[in-house]
Amino acid sequence: MKRTILKMFIGVALMGCLILGTTSSFGAEVVTLTVIGDAGHNLKPFEWYAPIFKEEFGVELKVIGVPFGELYEKEKIEFVAQTGAFDICIVYPKYIGDFAGAGYLMNLDEYAGKLSPAMDDVAPGYRDFYCKVGGSLYAVPFDGDVLSLYFRKDLLENAEEKAAFKKEFGYDLKAPATWDEHVEVAKFFTRKAGEKLAGETLKTPFYGTAFYGQRDQIYAWWGNRFASMGGVYFDEETMKPAINSKAGVDALENMKAVVPYCPPDVLAYGYEELKDIFLNGDAAMVVQWPCVGKKGADPNQSKIVGKVGLAPVPGVKKDGEIYSRAMMPCGRILSIPADAKHPWKAYQVIQWLTVVSSTADVSTPLTGLDPYRISHFETPEAFEMFPTGEDAKIYLAGIKANMSSGYPEPPIPGSMEYIDALAVDITRALQGEKSAQQALDDAAAEWENITERFGRERQQKLYQGLVAGWREAGLWE
Amino acid sequence: MENRRSKTRRLFRPNDYVVIFAFVVIAILLIVFLSPIFWMVSTAFKDKGEYFTYPPVYLPKKLDFSHFFRGLKLGGAKGIQDTLIVAAATTALSMVIGSLAAYSLARFRIGGKHFAFWILSIRMMPPVASVLPLFLFYRFLKILDTYEALIITYTIFNIPFAVWMLKGFFEELPVELEEAALVDGCGRLRAFYKIALPLIAPGLVATALFCFMFSWNEFFFALILTRSNVTPVTVVIAGMIGGHEILWAEISAVAAMASIPIIVLAIFLQRYLVRGLTLGAVKG
Amino acid sequence: MEENRRASFSFNLEKQIPLLFVLPCLIVLLAVSVFPFLYSLWLSFSKWELGMGQRSPTFAWFSNYARLFSDDRFWGSMENMAEVLVFGVGAQLLIGLGVALLLNRPFRGRSWITTLFLLPMMICPVVVGCNWKMIYHYSYGPLNHILGLIGVEGGLNWLGSSDLALPSIIIADTWEWMPFVMIVLLAGLQSIPVELYEAAKVDGASRWQVFWYITLPSLKTIIIIVVLIRLMDTFKLFDLVTLLTQGGPASASETISYFNYLTGFKFFNMGYAAALAYIQLAIIIIIASVFLRFLKKEEGG
Repeated sequence: MKRTILKMFIGVALMGCLILGTTSSFGAEVVTLTVIGDAGHNLKPFEWYAPIFKEEFGVELKVIGVPFGELYEKEKIEFVAQTGAFDICIVYPKYIGDFAGAGYLMNLDEYAGKLSPAMDDVAPGYRDFYCKVGGSLYAVPFDGDVLSLYFRKDLLENAEEKAAFKKEFGYDLKAPATWDEHVEVAKFFTRKAGEKLAGETLKTPFYGTAFYGQRDQIYAWWGNRFASMGGVYFDEETMKPAINSKAGVDALENMKAVVPYCPPDVLAYGYEELKDIFLNGDAAMVVQWPCVGKKGADPNQSKIVGKVGLAPVPGVKKDGEIYSRAMMPCGRILSIPADAKHPWKAYQVIQWLTVVSSTADVSTPLTGLDPYRISHFETPEAFEMFPTGEDAKIYLAGIKANMSSGYPEPPIPGSMEYIDALAVDITRALQGEKSAQQALDDAAAEWENITERFGRERQQKLYQGLVAGWREAGLWE
Repeated sequence: MENRRSKTRRLFRPNDYVVIFAFVVIAILLIVFLSPIFWMVSTAFKDKGEYFTYPPVYLPKKLDFSHFFRGLKLGGAKGIQDTLIVAAATTALSMVIGSLAAYSLARFRIGGKHFAFWILSIRMMPPVASVLPLFLFYRFLKILDTYEALIITYTIFNIPFAVWMLKGFFEELPVELEEAALVDGCGRLRAFYKIALPLIAPGLVATALFCFMFSWNEFFFALILTRSNVTPVTVVIAGMIGGHEILWAEISAVAAMASIPIIVLAIFLQRYLVRGLTLGAVKG
Repeated sequence: MEENRRASFSFNLEKQIPLLFVLPCLIVLLAVSVFPFLYSLWLSFSKWELGMGQRSPTFAWFSNYARLFSDDRFWGSMENMAEVLVFGVGAQLLIGLGVALLLNRPFRGRSWITTLFLLPMMICPVVVGCNWKMIYHYSYGPLNHILGLIGVEGGLNWLGSSDLALPSIIIADTWEWMPFVMIVLLAGLQSIPVELYEAAKVDGASRWQVFWYITLPSLKTIIIIVVLIRLMDTFKLFDLVTLLTQGGPASASETISYFNYLTGFKFFNMGYAAALAYIQLAIIIIIASVFLRFLKKEEGG
């Protein structure tokens, strides 16, 4: 009898502990969220702030790094198979139409109403082109990429060179403001080994400029010219491609004109090659990403510290003013899959990253993240990699100017396919295989095929919706 | 009676010029084939400014081992471990299943040429087409992001390879020895593993090495079928190719470290590749 | 009585050995490969534009195949593939055979040299791509630098010109896979019975005759199989193309597997990608059948 009572007592005590245990952990519930993004230093913020996320939101993060070039397909396959494996996704903005349009991403308007992601502070181009689809918010920015013109200010200020340039072209040497000037400055500075540059004899060839020649992003360098010459991707009324308009052909002709003043293997140039040809001091000017400006100030990576100038991407003279648009290729935005299990907690995390820690994240040399908020541009002190505050100010002013005139990558479904077809034809024209008009006509024909296959009406609706939003934000004519 | 090896040597002793010529050719080929490896190893020690510059840096300023440690920390260590597990498992499986099947195909012509061809056709399937259905299949079995998923996948591709390679080696082997053993009362199974297998040792070694290497270096399936529980080293290395930052030194360092297990395996298996005393048994 | 039963049992088992040996192989391959094969076959007759969020495929008859035949990019990539197959595998065979012959005879340090020759194959293909991307760089790469030192001024535009882009890939691929051919042929050479050579010497054959009439024929099966396997694997060539040129400039170095990867995993035209895969499969099967016919002829003799 005593034994039975003892057993019962122990049993009840154990049950009591169990109940207490579960209820107490109920109060401090820690949820594990899976983050997917491109592997490397851009995932660092998730590591750094893990303790804060745990304490404030009760969130533990499991971070999955995927190779940069394969992030899109990895995310897409998991979305298609509806595995529900991710809670936070880092997405490349050009895919937002694809993902949001197919319903893979969660509409964040409601959460944004409760806990603001401070979108007003985001540079308008980035906010309206890359985070919103059909007027609704689907992502918040994480990394702002925009192309700018970098140039060797020491060469452009050199008296000898200035005199020679004036003699040859009839106007003062400065950072080119138009694409025609860009060709002329490039031509002027292309020298062979043995010739002189700024008073010194060259041991290796020097190039006027270079561009990204690889197929995945070459169109953006054409796009800079195309956009500033007034080009648009599609005709809204008919959804017919407008890339072979006069703007497109002129843009391609201009790009073709500058090829002789670039390194011979420029068509194989990717990010590294483009960065190195400039930072090694072998090119006079290059249009490329913001991180190059930061790296240019680092003596370990740059042979031209202190000689780097930044200017808006060249444009076109319109009514006495320079009209220039800068492409915004790559970039990163944070979004939440539609089938995420803890969306509110996920939103809290991404809101924190885009509002609270973003200035620290984009100004540190430990990540590759670039500024995208007005507040970023107004905090030059945070950018410690620059030797002086003055340098940081000039850098940020330049980036801000370019982002204010930003131009989107085509963010509609099938963007990769459109871009690929365009890139192949652009390259054919640059190699002289086809004329610029012929190449763009062929590309346009291919674009038509793609639109047909996707369903013209659906594409048109999406595109019109996007454009309406852009027009409202004053970014589209 | 004279030793077999020295007999061969005396049969065809080349004159000195031929020997020198042969060695020169070997030396030239070695230099040509090893220079990219030298470049890779030297890159593993280079610092940021030394990857792309003129003149190219052949010998980095200092032997900086930090890239090796950093590479291991960035997932290289777990990557090598995971790949090792998968490669070893799939090689063992494929060799066992494959050698049995190859023997049957070679000796008994089971299923005829159509069956043999069907086996080979499995390896012909382009990965792009098979990865989505496999993804869905493994998801159904709930084995995504596990060792099993990769092991099964690689085994499917390794078995045809093993079968066809070993079939070729078995077919070149004269039947007499096994028949003699059978007459002596030995069972088929014993004839298989006591006589036939040892005689094609060079073929077994080569095939096993390749099965191992194929799984070691495979990238596409590894990328799609895993997330974070299993991280094959190929995916880890690809992860170091960032959009705006390529870790050239870490990539080369991890690749160098990742090839060490295979190199060790190859060295160890070398002696089975060489003509050995076993061949004397063919006529003995 | 007992013994008879036991004897008949073991007799039956012996009879089933051929089937039993093959059973594990059959089961494993069937279990896993049937679904992917059938699924992608079905997909190749469907339209599934994942880009538009189409949740499941719709039947589309032969439209994918029809589109294929009128697609210039497809034919271009097939042409490039043919080039890679002929020149790449050809070079691998010639160099591999040469090195295997050189290493056939034992000499001091042979195993070390063999291992050294094996190195290119043991490096992760992703890294082979990165490594050669550095080597092929026009301005900063060691290849042009060394060429400059030996008198070839200016260097060659390896990756940026449509003439040299594909050859650059072929060279890197040959470098990577020659060891494979070499080691298989070496294993084959080592398996040739000594007696054949003895008999030849007795008959007074010259070195060349020995090579042509004894060595090569004994290797025939192995050569055919290794070339077939290399052809099959080269069809899947993808890492090098992605890392070195991305199929460029334009589509000068775009191979069929890279194009297939683009359509399947960048554009997500799953139906078209499946059709492409099946066409590839058909071609490989044809090539393999042709090769195996050579094998059949050989076995007759």
